[in-house]
Amino acid sequence: MGKVIRFQFTKGSEVRFLSHLDLLRTMERALRRAKLPMAYSEGFSPRPVMAFGFALPVGVLSEAEYGDFEFSEIFDPQEFMTIYNKHLPKGLKVVEAERLPEGASSLMKKINTAKYEVLLPNKEAKELESRWQFLRGQDTFFVQRETKRGVRELDILPFLYDVSLQGSRHDGVIIECVCALGNEGNLRIEELGALLNFNPKEVIITRTGQLIKMNNHYGLPMGNRGLKWKES
Amino acid sequence: MDKTIASLLPYVQKPGRYTNQELNAEHKDWKNTLIKVALAFPDIYDVGMGHLGYKILYSLINARKDSLAERVYLPWIDLLDLMEENQIPLTSLESGAKLTEFDLLGFTLQYELSYSNILKTLDLAGIPRYSTDRRETDPLVMAGGPCAFNAEPLADFFDFVVLGEGEEVLGEILDVVSSIKRQGGSREELLSKIAALDGIYVPRLYEPIYDENGDFSGLKSTGTNAPAQINKRVIKDLNKSHFPEEFIVPFVEVVHDRTMVEVMRGCTRGCRFCQAGMIYRPIRERKPEILEEQVSKLVKSTGYEEISLSSLSSGDYSHIKPLLENLISEYQGCGITVSLPSLRVDSFSMELAKEIQKARKTGLTFAPEAGTQRLRDVINKNVTESDLKEVVQGAFKAGWYSIKLYFMIGLPTETQDDLDGIIKLAHEVIAWGREFGTGRRLPQVSISVASFVPKPHTPFQWMGQESLDSLREKQKYLRDKLRHPGIRFSYPRVEESFLEAVFSRGDRRLGKVLEKAVDLGCRFDSWSDCLRFDLWEKAFEECGIDPHYYANRTRNFSESLPWSHLSAGLERDFLLDEWKKAIEASVTEDCRWDKCSNCGVCPNLGVKNEIVGDNRHG
Repeated sequence: MGKVIRFQFTKGSEVRFLSHLDLLRTMERALRRAKLPMAYSEGFSPRPVMAFGFALPVGVLSEAEYGDFEFSEIFDPQEFMTIYNKHLPKGLKVVEAERLPEGASSLMKKINTAKYEVLLPNKEAKELESRWQFLRGQDTFFVQRETKRGVRELDILPFLYDVSLQGSRHDGVIIECVCALGNEGNLRIEELGALLNFNPKEVIITRTGQLIKMNNHYGLPMGNRGLKWKES
Repeated sequence: MDKTIASLLPYVQKPGRYTNQELNAEHKDWKNTLIKVALAFPDIYDVGMGHLGYKILYSLINARKDSLAERVYLPWIDLLDLMEENQIPLTSLESGAKLTEFDLLGFTLQYELSYSNILKTLDLAGIPRYSTDRRETDPLVMAGGPCAFNAEPLADFFDFVVLGEGEEVLGEILDVVSSIKRQGGSREELLSKIAALDGIYVPRLYEPIYDENGDFSGLKSTGTNAPAQINKRVIKDLNKSHFPEEFIVPFVEVVHDRTMVEVMRGCTRGCRFCQAGMIYRPIRERKPEILEEQVSKLVKSTGYEEISLSSLSSGDYSHIKPLLENLISEYQGCGITVSLPSLRVDSFSMELAKEIQKARKTGLTFAPEAGTQRLRDVINKNVTESDLKEVVQGAFKAGWYSIKLYFMIGLPTETQDDLDGIIKLAHEVIAWGREFGTGRRLPQVSISVASFVPKPHTPFQWMGQESLDSLREKQKYLRDKLRHPGIRFSYPRVEESFLEAVFSRGDRRLGKVLEKAVDLGCRFDSWSDCLRFDLWEKAFEECGIDPHYYANRTRNFSESLPWSHLSAGLERDFLLDEWKKAIEASVTEDCRWDKCSNCGVCPNLGVKNEIVGDNRHG
């Protein structure tokens, strides 16, 4: 086991509008307040050595964000969790932490799938099901994607793996979506909205998982709780 | 459907700036706190959060059991428009309370181009613009800050104005509010009690008089508690004055997002163009051991990665070097850097710069302000040609490759030689960089040239600002002559400096122009992209007011000045003498080390320079 602690944290409604950079700055300042024995980078202004999973879109809540902190000594993950949580602002909370084996691959390298829970107000299960059936009947679904290098046509249908109904409430339905995340392929939130016909600015979205898709199984970036399930 | 701010946030840029759960924000019990104060900054969160004055007042108010302070910023244009469209009132950040629910609504007057945003804030809050139109239940609208020293253009909009430093008088105001609220007195009663405090100006107790030519000829008091002159408040001993142990740590990036301690207040260098140097006298230094303790508490409570030693001229602080050394050795190991906001042009500053930036060699910034020795003597900017040469060459030798120099154009007595002096200096810096630079990078020099704005309470307060056309011409001349791959030339729009000049020395007649401009759509005037000079011109025209009368006219020394009742303790004769000496290019020594310059502040206000050390350095 090495000196890196991998942890899972949640991002609540108090901090839902923070950008990824805002989040990094906030986590770093909390580290300084907590006075944890961090490993610092070289150079004039040494920074704590830290890495995170894929940026959460602004406005989206999360139950499954991940980070890696490198310590200057072997540090107990439980102790880290207790201390660090005392210094995080409201809305951010570490829920799980463990020491990472030496040479483990980075979060960004492993994670390739996201799971979102979406609360769709004023929608009925039927409407959603017919949309899902419609999508299943399509070969492609092209959108215009804006990137730094310009706009390009892109088929996003292969990036949506699964949609399932989680429940109905008086004010709408809750669905779970599993889709591509990361460098190999990525479904943006607004594209998920375009596929399923909702406006992401008007609904509550929670990232409930960042997963590692391996053939037909999904693994988690940390822990070994034998979570395996079949792709539907 | 009723929309809320929260429902609009997904549609605006940087919604994080409207988030209210930042670390160390005070959420006091609204119902059970007697006095509610809203501290409004007439700009967006990202700018307002950097303001040290409000950090002090926020913490000072919230430290009282009977009071709470909450923050108010103007939303950026995207949200502002949406709120107007959906008729959503502006609310405080902490409780989301309407501004009409507060007892006091404070504005800080940091720069003239923020005035339109003050009216915008009142509009969006549903509070009448004119103090005389406010209802019994409306908060008392107060203002303070440097521009309060000529509050006249805003006189109709404020119930009262606080002159000078707020730490003590704010407590007195809150005591008055507390006693009136407990007794159940009226708004008018409250205001008259506040008016009786030292340093408080209640504009509606005065009426301006204009002579047959339409020139301002004085103020007539129309009520009790209306002294002929209001003296600013001064904290005598900075060591005993309140300073926060916690700063709110914003989530989004804001200006000056760091630990700041105020090493001293005031500056006696006596630069003749500088209003801050005049109105914040005398110098009062804080003891280094107190500063170190403040830093230690703030570092602990914020987790900030930078410590800034702030003041008007921190290089002059008598213990600056040992203080810097202590802080650096204490904090550098844990990734916390120390910085100074500005550097003097002398060898001592180079030592400090080397201390601060042991490894990082980014840019160094200096402010020679004028291109020739003669003009620097006119403005009393104590920088010599040889200082500049030595410092800049030294910087290149030490590994810096980027130098930024600040200048002004349109200074009194300026000639072609002075413009050419800026050009010559810029090219010299490049040449020195080539000769002495050590890095692989080519030397870079940034030249920033502002247009001079004559300010009240300075020796240049009588002087007319140079015309827009002439300033534009000078900018063009400099731009042409500074075309060089190693030189970056930047300058604010002359229209900005012009409006600043109009309002900085304006009288009460400008209130209606401001109102008209806001009605026409002016806001965020200090943001170059937002400034609509055409609308401002229209506003002046529709009000029948000539802006050039205020900006470009040189005043008679016998003329009544609209701000003369608002005293920073300076003697008129001192300012006049300084003006005469300026014309002769004769310099005045700094009273910190040399003889008293008879500015009047110490005897008039019963204060003196408080220096913690005695050694002159540099």
